Amino acid sequence: MNLRKVRIIYFKEMLETLRDRRTLISTILIPILLFPILMFGMSAVVVTMMEKTEAEATRVAMIGEEFAHSFVFTFLEGDDFQKVEVEDFESALKEKEIHAALEFPSGFEEKLTLGENSEATIYYDAAELRSSIAAEKLFDKLEHYQDSLVAERLRDRGVERSLLQPIKINEENLASQEKMGGFMLGMFLPYMIVILAMVGAMYPAIDLTAGEKERGTLETILVTPVSRLDIATGKFLTVLTASLITILLSTASMSLSASLGFAQMSQFSSEQVPFIIKPLPIILLLLLMLPLAALFSSALLSVSLFAKSYKEAQSYVSPLMFVVILPAMINFIPGIELNWGLAFVPIVNISLAAREVLLGTFRWEFIGLIFVSTFIYASLSIFVTKQLFEKEDVLFRT
Amino acid sequence: MIATSNLTKIFQDKKRGEIRAVDSVNIECKPGRVFGLLGLNGAGKTTLMRVLSTTLKPTSGNAKVAGYDVISQPEKVKEKIGFLSSDTGLYHRLTAEETVSYFGRLNGMEQNILKKRVDEIFERFDMNEFRKRRVDKLSTGMKQKISIARTFINDPEVLILDEPTIGLDVVTSRGIIQFIKKSKQADKCILFSTHVMWEAQKLCDDIAIIHKGKIWEVGTLEQLRARTGLNDLDDIFVKIVGE
Ligand SMILES: Nc1ncnc2c1ncn2[C@@H]1O[C@H](COP(=O)(O)OP(=O)(O)OP(=O)(O)O)[C@@H](O)[C@H]1O
Ligand SMILES: [Mg+2]
Repeated sequence: MNLRKVRIIYFKEMLETLRDRRTLISTILIPILLFPILMFGMSAVVVTMMEKTEAEATRVAMIGEEFAHSFVFTFLEGDDFQKVEVEDFESALKEKEIHAALEFPSGFEEKLTLGENSEATIYYDAAELRSSIAAEKLFDKLEHYQDSLVAERLRDRGVERSLLQPIKINEENLASQEKMGGFMLGMFLPYMIVILAMVGAMYPAIDLTAGEKERGTLETILVTPVSRLDIATGKFLTVLTASLITILLSTASMSLSASLGFAQMSQFSSEQVPFIIKPLPIILLLLLMLPLAALFSSALLSVSLFAKSYKEAQSYVSPLMFVVILPAMINFIPGIELNWGLAFVPIVNISLAAREVLLGTFRWEFIGLIFVSTFIYASLSIFVTKQLFEKEDVLFRT
Repeated sequence: MIATSNLTKIFQDKKRGEIRAVDSVNIECKPGRVFGLLGLNGAGKTTLMRVLSTTLKPTSGNAKVAGYDVISQPEKVKEKIGFLSSDTGLYHRLTAEETVSYFGRLNGMEQNILKKRVDEIFERFDMNEFRKRRVDKLSTGMKQKISIARTFINDPEVLILDEPTIGLDVVTSRGIIQFIKKSKQADKCILFSTHVMWEAQKLCDDIAIIHKGKIWEVGTLEQLRARTGLNDLDDIFVKIVGE
């Protein structure tokens, strides 16, 4: 290998890659913009929904209202409910005239005062978010009403209320702040980073191989005094650089927008979701991604070098994308933990390790093993790429 | 300068089976002469030239180009040749100057020498007007000039030109013919393929007729005329190929 020539090729390929609009979009723009848009888009939707829900009164139809005077009276005290008169509550629910309906059987209140039991039915549409919320609110109201009835009945019989609740259950969340942040991030960040590492490498890889075949420039470089190994190395380093740029940009962008996005969302949640990302997990994540990016880069180069045209290469690369997405989704399956077997499965191992690391667990023996095994896979893949660059029936496939 | 001995290239094609694209070819091209390779489509011209420029390995036989062996010293061969064909494209996103400098650097030229050489070449081929413009914004004629400039950057001893005028207008192809003539005066060895008979008639010192991978006849135009008793190269070609 002639390092001087590799460097010349590398710099020229980088220059050309940076002038390619498709590459700029997939390698730089998407990783920077994707997360802020996702985060702020999501939180904006949540915020507007919350605000709308809060601003708008819940419209409820009462059936058999005359049997539940005192309930309806307390019910209407709060102004977040609005009683609506309807002919047919089912169609009103369908037409969204009301959010829910509440039905009392005849003699509802009479029975309750006599110390007997009765029932009430909430009608709602579980497929409608607003309706589900309304049903929940109604349920709470009824429970509250029931509570006061129970208290009354117990008082009449001279029984202490605490008799019904011998155990007072306390709950306390001991997760550290970084773990809470890591939990949110641990699921999505590895998944997104793995996919973006692939996306970032995709267009440069296709452009530098199949694209060059199509434009005839591959033959031009083959007749210059550089070895095929130098050409392959220069191209590989270019694609790897693109992938690493994507990884760096998307990690930075996601960490940042996650902190900001959660801060905005936590305005509306009763629990504060503190969000702190420490540097060590991020550095480890980036380190683990390094051999994976090399594996992706060489695999993409091999596949698209085989293709005759840009289009053909794209059609080979798309299925490859699924090969990456599926194992990257491992973190969405609950209960799967890193073990000695999974540590050898490419992509899966890094996704799992990345989550652990983001959660603040550092099992160095696994981290080391995953790094080494991915490094070995990458080396094998690079070797295949090199072999393909030596094969004339691949370079001149007709 | 170029000498082949029983040079053979066989492709294994899935549908067509074995293709003897170049079949036991023996030719010799000398410095200061233009060697014309005449053949129909699919005759094997491009394949022969690719083998000579070392992008394809011969199946059997061997060739020496500028004194180097195409099988064992491909790197050396590539340092000595300039290869141009309608298949060798240019990088769309580089400027004219970046393109020419890039090939100079790949040929191992030092920065200061390269700069002088680039200036000289841009002057000589009258390319300064579009020196800083991107290749994809240029006309076919301008691109062809850049291709010639990049072929010429390392002042190669041997030029291998595969149908360099194909698809070009009169003015542009004239430019290329001029370039070949000048290179000949500069004592280069030029291997030139075409299926345009009058071009060959005007330009070539030696003519080889290649058909189905084999050389059917080789000699100067006069020798071919004497052997066939015909005057025009078209007639000579058709008579030899027999179609
Ligand atoms: N990579 C390849 N794989 C298989 N067959 C090939 C390959 N390259 C060329 N051939 C076949 O070899 C034969 C010679 O082709 P070649 O391109 O050398 O002809 P040519 O004389 O340059 O023709 P043209 O005038 O059309 O350029 C043809 O039959 C062609 O189909
Ligand atoms: Mg040809």
